[in-house]
Amino acid sequence: MNERQDAVVVVGLRKVFERRARRGLLRRAQGEVKTLSAVDGIDFLVKRGEIFGLLGPNGAGKTTTIKMLCTLLSPTSGTARVAGHDVVREAAKVRSSLGTVLTGERSVYWKLTGRENLRYYAALYRIPRRKARERIAELLERLELAGRADELVEKYSSGMKQRLALARALLPSPPILLLDEPTVGLDPQAARNLRQTIFDLKAGGKTVLLTTHYMAEADELCDRIAIIDQGRIIALDSPAALKEGLGAKEVVRLEIQGEPNGLGDALRALALVESVAVRPSVNGAGTCELQVITSNSRRSIGPIIESVRAAGHEVVHFQVVQPTLEDVFIRLTGKSLRD
Amino acid sequence: MIDTLLAIARKDLIMFFRYPINAVFRIVEPIMWLTPAFFLGRGFSVDGTATGFAAYTGTGDFFSFILLGSLLGAYISAVFWGIGYSLKMEMDSGVLESNWMTPVPRLAFLVGRTLTSLVVTTLNCTGVLLASWLLFGFSAGGPVSKAMLITLPMLAGLYGFGFAFAGLVLLMRDANTLVDVSSFLVGELSGRGFPVTVLPRALMVISLVLPTTYGFDAVRALLLGTKPLLPLGVAAVVLVGFMVAMLVLGGMAFSAIERVCRARGTLGMH
Repeated sequence: MNERQDAVVVVGLRKVFERRARRGLLRRAQGEVKTLSAVDGIDFLVKRGEIFGLLGPNGAGKTTTIKMLCTLLSPTSGTARVAGHDVVREAAKVRSSLGTVLTGERSVYWKLTGRENLRYYAALYRIPRRKARERIAELLERLELAGRADELVEKYSSGMKQRLALARALLPSPPILLLDEPTVGLDPQAARNLRQTIFDLKAGGKTVLLTTHYMAEADELCDRIAIIDQGRIIALDSPAALKEGLGAKEVVRLEIQGEPNGLGDALRALALVESVAVRPSVNGAGTCELQVITSNSRRSIGPIIESVRAAGHEVVHFQVVQPTLEDVFIRLTGKSLRD
Repeated sequence: MIDTLLAIARKDLIMFFRYPINAVFRIVEPIMWLTPAFFLGRGFSVDGTATGFAAYTGTGDFFSFILLGSLLGAYISAVFWGIGYSLKMEMDSGVLESNWMTPVPRLAFLVGRTLTSLVVTTLNCTGVLLASWLLFGFSAGGPVSKAMLITLPMLAGLYGFGFAFAGLVLLMRDANTLVDVSSFLVGELSGRGFPVTVLPRALMVISLVLPTTYGFDAVRALLLGTKPLLPLGVAAVVLVGFMVAMLVLGGMAFSAIERVCRARGTLGMH
């Protein structure tokens, strides 16, 4: 990779899938071919040595993008270059420059030990045996797997499997890492440890492109973030700049009793209210959470609470907070990341 | 590349023995299957010779005929199962994508996955030959090295067939039925369990189109002295032609189908 080259350059990348309807025993219903633009003409570049995040809800096109970059999926149109190599025309060179961890635990053999897995993948990356032995020992140590390296992977916890998958991706010392939802399914401690590992990788000079739908994770880890929704990048900047983009906005979070039918529209109609997102509360108490972005919470809080009460709801709790990346997403799309 | 193929085989072998009961049965099973053939042959024999069978084949040694057919058929199965089924296993267990994200060419994975199958099949065949010699008095009368030589282009040709077949597995995302049916049909129509000359005309045409038929036939002619369908030199040329054509066509078919699957995004699906 050239000193001045960007690690990943994506221009007008699109992926359109054809989906045929299926009906009962008939495998395909004739004439019902639908197209789905999973990735719809995205552009971005990842600078060398940065942690770049693709942030978006499930189905936004994050994994499809990663799969195109790691050559498992061919783009419908557009171009993508990884370490200076075109993902279509120079697929083998791209694969040599990349370490990729796709989401899920099953990217390693469960009937092999951790060490056997790494030995196998080292051979696939054509790492000479002696060097492979040293590299495997180093990675097992670094990812805190050395103590259980000779146990079958089926006995590992989810966090250990994920760390082993990361060790597999790091085997050939690739300059660029693609991590698809790296902390999904991990307990908080394991997720925190993995995030620290990602920071360490960056400190070691690696470029990391990761996808996530956890806003806090993106905020904590990424130098820059592309917010992606319905296959399109709707914002791209540093987390701080994205939040600053909301201007002097504040977020009023309200927890109300019952279903907020039509309440969202009533709140949007209020002066000073910029956007409203509604989502069910996760505490199981039959409440809902409203996030109202306003340009002046002091002046708008009264009318907001009045509107809620007028709609027959009781306000269980409210607070005024500084904007987060989720608020940026709500502002841009009018919906919550968890919708 | 050899190191990579050996690494794939070593990994498969380790995993094969992680299920020890299955491993033992895979080696013992063929001996059990062949035993009824021995007694069936004996039931139809007069003074140790199956005379009706001899009229078709030129040998009255029914058991040896079936034995050689089974051994060659085992290699057909090894290639089909080694390529097709193992590909499906990788799709199901979720490791196909992590393998295919490495710089190793896809066809090398397919070849590598058959090596353990071939080692196990060779162990099977050695065990079966030994048991047949000890229990049923089998002995090969002809030039064994020549017979082995003629099976090589047949086996290589089967790899080509296996490549195209792997493409089909990738596309259909089904392996058991495809492998079972294809392996059975190719084996039987090549004359694994009977002389193809007994087939009705329509089926015999299919049988004579399959180059594997000439491989089975030539090995039996060399080792048992049966009447060959083609002179042995011609059979060898047919098998070499089959090998070249199938390796090229099979490789092209697999690459084309793999491109389709990459465009559809179905590589990791099962």
